[in-house]
Parts: sequence; structure tokens; C-alpha cells
Amino acid sequence: MSVDLSNVRNIGISAHIDSGKTTLTERILFYTDRIHAIHDVRGKDGVGAKMDSMELERERGITIQSAATYCNWKGIDINIIDTPGHVDFTVEVERALRVLDGAVLILCSVGGVQSQSITVNRQMDRYNVPRISFINKCDRTGANPERVTDQLQEKLGLNAHMMQLPIGLENDLEGVVDLVTMKALYFDGNSGEVVREDEIPEDLRDQANEKREELLDVVSMFSEELMEVILEEGDIEPQLVRDAVRAGTLSLEFSPVFIGSAYKNKAVQPLLDAVEYYLPCPTDVENIGLDLDKNEKEFPVTNNADDSLIMLAFKLEDGRYGQLTYVRTYQGTLKKGDFIINVRTGKKVKVGRLVRMHSDEMLEIDSCGAGDIVALFGVDCASGDTFTDGTITCSMSSMFIPEPVISLAVIPSDNKAQINMSKALNRFTKEDPTFKTFVDHETGETIISGMGELHLEVYIERMKREYGAEVEVGAPQVAYRETISQRAEFNYIHKKQTGGSGQFGRVAGYMEPITEEEYEFVDKIVGGSIPREFISSCDKGFKKSMAKGTLCGSPVTGVRCVINDGAFHAVDSSDVAFQLASVGAFKEGYMKAKPVIMEPIMKVAVEGPSEFQGSVMGSINQRRGMIIGTTEEGSYTVVEAEVPLSEMFGYSTTLRSLTQGKAEFTMEFASFKTVPKSVSEELVKKYQDEKNK
Amino acid sequence: MGKEDLVSNNPLRALGLEKEDGSDGRRVGLVMSRAGLGKTAILVQIAMDSMLRDNKVLHVTIDEDLDKTRSWYEDILDLINQEKKMANFQQVVDEVMTNRMIMTFKENSFDTAKLGERMDDLAQQGIFKADCLVVDGYDFTDADSIAALDGLKAFMDKNELKMIWFSAVSHRDDDRVSVNCVPAPCHEIDDAFDTVLLISPEDKDIKLKTLKCSEACSVDAEKALLLDPATMLIKKA
Repeated sequence: MSVDLSNVRNIGISAHIDSGKTTLTERILFYTDRIHAIHDVRGKDGVGAKMDSMELERERGITIQSAATYCNWKGIDINIIDTPGHVDFTVEVERALRVLDGAVLILCSVGGVQSQSITVNRQMDRYNVPRISFINKCDRTGANPERVTDQLQEKLGLNAHMMQLPIGLENDLEGVVDLVTMKALYFDGNSGEVVREDEIPEDLRDQANEKREELLDVVSMFSEELMEVILEEGDIEPQLVRDAVRAGTLSLEFSPVFIGSAYKNKAVQPLLDAVEYYLPCPTDVENIGLDLDKNEKEFPVTNNADDSLIMLAFKLEDGRYGQLTYVRTYQGTLKKGDFIINVRTGKKVKVGRLVRMHSDEMLEIDSCGAGDIVALFGVDCASGDTFTDGTITCSMSSMFIPEPVISLAVIPSDNKAQINMSKALNRFTKEDPTFKTFVDHETGETIISGMGELHLEVYIERMKREYGAEVEVGAPQVAYRETISQRAEFNYIHKKQTGGSGQFGRVAGYMEPITEEEYEFVDKIVGGSIPREFISSCDKGFKKSMAKGTLCGSPVTGVRCVINDGAFHAVDSSDVAFQLASVGAFKEGYMKAKPVIMEPIMKVAVEGPSEFQGSVMGSINQRRGMIIGTTEEGSYTVVEAEVPLSEMFGYSTTLRSLTQGKAEFTMEFASFKTVPKSVSEELVKKYQDEKNK
Repeated sequence: MGKEDLVSNNPLRALGLEKEDGSDGRRVGLVMSRAGLGKTAILVQIAMDSMLRDNKVLHVTIDEDLDKTRSWYEDILDLINQEKKMANFQQVVDEVMTNRMIMTFKENSFDTAKLGERMDDLAQQGIFKADCLVVDGYDFTDADSIAALDGLKAFMDKNELKMIWFSAVSHRDDDRVSVNCVPAPCHEIDDAFDTVLLISPEDKDIKLKTLKCSEACSVDAEKALLLDPATMLIKKA
């Protein structure tokens, strides 16, 4: 591994499902000599792509977990995280983006900018990740990279411009014209491994000149030197153009677009060149740490190998080699055998083995430096933990983790399955912060919750396959919430005399709805009507009540509890008495505050041929969905809607039969909204029936 | 507070054109201006006024992104709420938005026959029966599009539409106008419209005035509304 950080690129590959991310990664590994044969995602050889190392991934043909790999292209060390395309696995994408310096956004030349591309782009914006785009599948019927570039501008708001022109399209795709060098590139050999440079075909020359002019016009904004040369009509060196494109890309003001077909082995090598030319090295990006000694004051990490060590654990895996922790080093150097400190727990651990991961294979290394992405063995931690060498107390910024929206009960078939299931759940919850599990104390059932049906389905499958835990699965349950809709007062006395010392506490005040926070406690007691030592007891009592609402037993959110009066008894008042008084006060106020049930609403996008638009909209309408709108482009339509999650179970089957399998949908959590009265009554009745059982 | 509180300073009402909102017979309206002066903002305000009075509005956008169109509504509602500060704002917005649907077409995918088909489909399935139509980005320079305007009244009758509002771009270097002062490219087709509004920059201000209206109202040549260039809402006097 080179020490010179300018020769390091930490990149992610993100895209909409089925845009060919894994296929592209496979080609990259082949051209960089990391693998010696190409296996396709759903290939007939049954081997599967290198990066889809999980058995389930190979079967389904989608990437579930991101796998990290490393390759070297013309002296540049490239760490690649291949990220999942399905929205249910968004946290994997988010985690990858947190630790990466640049990204390649893959788009399908036919499908163009699809819903998940928009989500991924938004995530990249959140972490200020410079990106280049690769319009893949230019060999497919209907390929139109220019239209996709327009969409990048219109839909994603990127200043995207093509750096290449296709030589032929669809079945006739032969190669690309490089608009920087003004040369035609062809990809010969059995697997396109021989890059042949040639003159631009006659019929493309005018178009290439025109497109180059347009490109220079845009990128000259990022380089005065280039601007001068253009104005003086001098010879423009390719490096001058590349420097300008790089400056624009790093400042997020420009996004270069490359084209090709990974599957047909066309134009992958120029994309690798682009990673070197245009994506940032670790020192180009400012990463911010939080100094815990200075009240979490932000500071830029140095990227210096001689400074104190700072590393972020961004992914955990418990594979056949034992517990594996993926880390990104932000500054300092880590050597095998060093001691490191987990800032969250304060625990000191010895780094026994240090490896560079290549999907499920690994290379032992002795040390790693700033900017590196490597994996450690035997380090117990949670995803998102920061490690240092102990000379500095800091944390890398926390990652945005969405709340789970769906849950279901899992019942182990026997005692052995119970043990295996516990092991599996323990590992999964450590690996994936959006996957949660708890035991319902009333039913004794284990509940798992996550970001969507597929998300949970995959974990159940993994439980069975990897841990041999045979489980029965209950029907999916929506994570409802309760809240109040108006202000209400309470004045409650808790009094209990059972011989010995009694219990006494009076709590008075009001509760009101809030939108900014889930819960707020305000103490407005004056004159000591509730002694100071019992104020926190009131807070505890209210918090306890928030855990379970009285309508359908769901957690209560969006409530401000204000106490302004009360009473105590010199002997009988206690922490418990005031907690119980607050629970009673909450109950009293809650019913007066017109509580309502809220349900998760999903933003759903259905994409498919326009002929099915009517039936798609009908199906959404039947599911209490509100259609926001439709976008019709050629023979393709996208229907966007907001639909309650509870109505989306089994939608993929419905959609498939409605559209002869030609449409697909994605959904992501949008907001919580109040359920209609009829649904609310049903939920309340169901909860009461269960309680009375 | 209810949704009526959000009906604030609507351009049609402020110009004395409240009968041009379709409540007094079918109406076809047009908002014109040079590029970038706020036609969409005025269309959205007209649409919103209609939605707030429980009309279903189909907002058709040509060559524009769905999210962008949606954000026009959200931005304008936010601005109105900044002034009104309604406690149940989100609830009102959720309710009002059930009265709106957006359809976006790429220019080469749009034609009125296709739009009619889509509207029929929505109405027949009981999903959305539009009372009003807003069409942003219609190509008034295209001969076929202009010819399609001949069937507009019949289209409105068939679909029971109370009003349709269009937007059109005028150009600085084209000074052709109709007798009603309607600028090119709509100067020869101003008969197709009952109401025509013009947004024009005057000194440092942006003004909205009436060029044409139906007999139910009257054009007050002196009356012009001042628009806030930052929000495109009507400026308070």
C-alpha cells in the first residue's frame, strides 16, 4: 500500500436496483487483476459475482450487504464499497457514504434516473460526496445516454455533462469517444481488456467537436488557466481540462458523466481512469471530528500518519473468520499488535490481526495509515464507534439512522432454534442499526423490526441459513404511534395506605402537542409544592407512560408535559409515589387531550410502461394511497404516491400480476400521519380484545 | 383556524376577477410574462385558491420535474403560513393536498388527446375528477398545439371543467400584440381566453395586471398588483 495519500481513492458504488453495480465491480476487479475470470450476477456458471458473497445475494441477484474490496489501477490504490440498491438497505448505503471520499453513481441507460437514484443522490448530498456518473447498459435496446444526462440535470440538479460520446448504441455499441483527448476508444480481446485508441470515426467528428466545445465552455468556469487558453485559442492540453473537471467535481459544482456497458466489457477502463482523475483522495476532503474534551467542539481531522490515531468502525460482520470490524482511518497509523481505545465504552483492545478485505477473502497486512479502509479481527464494538490510540478523546460525527417502520414476531420452533435465533439476532442488531429486536412482555414473543418487508425477510432467511434457526413468522405489524391533538390539564392525587408507610403525591399541570420533539418535560413548580428531589420522579413517570399509549398500546410521541402544581406528604411522599402520581396524571390528561393513532406513510414510486398507468393508480387508490402525481416520458410512466405502510404488504405480488411483471416499485418512509377514524376504531378494538383475552 | 384562513391575497380576487374562477360558468385563463418572472407562482396561487374552496385541481406540467412542481405548492403554503401561523397547519395542508394531482409530461409525450384519456381513466376509476386544470408549459408556438385550442370548450364540457389556466412565455424582442394588448405568441389567439393576466417588470417592481376578462368582470387598466420578487406573492400595500 502506498503511503502517498494522493494515490488513494476511497470510493462507493451506488445506484438503483439492477443498474449493474455488482457487474461493474466485477469488471473493475478483473481489469485490475484482482480476479482472473468474470462471473456474472445471474451467470450460468453458477459462481455468481465476486462481490455478492452472501449465498442469498447470489440467489436473488441483488446486493444486500455492502462488501469492501481493494484494487490498484495504474499505481492508484482504490478501496471500493459496493453498496446495496434496494431502499430497505439504505443504512448500508449511508454508512458507506459516511466513510468514503467519492462515489460513482451508476445509472441504467434505459431506465435513467430512477427513484432509488434520487434517494442515493440525496444521501450523497447529505455527506457532500463528490460524484461521477456512469451510464451503464448502453448495449440495451432503447439506450439513450443523452436523455439520462438530461435527467441528471433536471431530476438530480447536478451540473452533469458527458465526458464521452458513444460509438454506436444498443447492439451496435463499439466504444466511446473521449472528449478530453478527442480519441476513439475501443475495447478488444475476449473480455475487452485491450484498450485500443484510434481516430474518431468520420461520422461522429462534428458531433464530438460540438460536444467538446460545450464541455469546455462549462468546465472553464473552474479553471482560469483553461479559460485563458480558450480565449487565446491556444492548444488545450488534456491535463488542463482534467484539472478543471477535477476542481468542479471536488467543489460539487460539476459532475462528469461516463458511458459504457459493463456487461459487454465496454468502457470500464476509462471509468477507472476517471476515478483517479476526478474523485478526491483522502486529503482533498475535510472530515470533521468532535472533540469530547471540549464539549463536542468540531475539528478537522488531519489525515496525517504521524498524528494521534482516529478510526471509525462503520461495518461489522461475523463471518467464517470470526468477528470482523471494518474501519476507516482518518489520521494516524495503526500497526498490528497496537492497543486502541473504543471512545464510547472506554475499553482498550489489542489489534491482533489487520486485514485488507477483498469481498470474502482477505490479505493480512502489518499496518494501515490515514485514509485507509481495512478490517480488524476480534474487536468488540458497535457500528459507528470511534477508536483512538488514547492520546485524544474524540468521536467522528454520528450517522443518521432512520427509525424502523415495520415489525413482526418470530417464534423459534424448538429450544435449539431459540438459542441459535438469539445468537443471530445479537449479531444482526450489532451489524445493522436499523434492525431492532425486543421481547414483548405481554405475549412473550420476540419481535424484530426494520425498514421494510424485504429487510426483515432477508434477516429471517439469514437466521435459517447461517444459524440453522428454524423460526415461524407472524404477520407483519406496522409500527403505529400515538399522539395527542390538543392541550389538556391534569390534577392527580396518588394516595395509598396499606399499613406501614403509605404513598402520597399530587401532580398537576397540563400536556400539549409538540412537533419538534418526541417528548419534553417542563418544570414550572414554584414554592416547593413538589420538592426538588421528586421532580425527576415526575419526569420518569411521564416517560414511562409515553412508552405505551392507551389507544392501541403503541408508543406515544409529540407530547410536552408541564407540571405547575402539586402536593406532598412529609412521610408518605417518595420517588415511587410521585412516579405513580405522574403515571395517573398522564392517563387523566391523555384521554382529555384527544389522543390519535398515527401510522407510517411511505413514499411509493411505481415505474412501468404507460399502458399500465391506470391499473397502477387504481391499485394505489385501493390502498388508501394519495397519488401525488405522474411523470410520463415516452412510453414509460412513474406514479408517485403516499401510501400507508399497512396497506403495502404483498404489493409486489399485486403489481406483478397487474402489469405482467413489467413494473417495479420502491418505497421509503415519508412521515407519520393520523389514521382515518374507521382504521383507528379497528385498531382500538383489536387492542382491547387482545387485552381482555 | 381552517383552510379558509389560507385563502390570502389571491391574485384573481385582488384584481376583482373573482368571477373568473369558474364559479360563474366555464372560464379559460392565461398568465403571460417573459421567462423567469413568475408565471408558475401565479398559476399555483390560482390553483391553490381553487383547492382551498374544495375544487379538485389537476396541475399539468410540461417538461418540468414533478418534485419541482410540488415544491412550488409547499413553498407558497409555507410563506402563507409564516404570516398566518396556524397551529394545525400540517393538518390543513394534508387535507387541501388531497384536492391536487400533478401530471408531468415530457414535451414530446404530451398531447391533449392523451391528457383527455388520462383524465377519463382517473375519473372512471373514481380516483380523481378534476374541476379545474392548470397547464404550465403549453407550447403556443406550435401549430398543432394552437389548433388543439379550438376544441377547448368542448373538452371542458366533456370533462365538466370549471376552468383551465395556461401559462405562456412572451419575448422581449417580439413586440406584436393583439387589440387587447395580449403579447405574441398569443396575440392571434386571444379569443381562446376569457381572462389574460400579464406579469411585467416596471422599474424595480414586478406587476400583475389584467389585459382581458369576461363580461362578468371589468378590466381596470389602472389596477396592477405589486408582486414580491422573492416570493411572487402579492405585496401588501
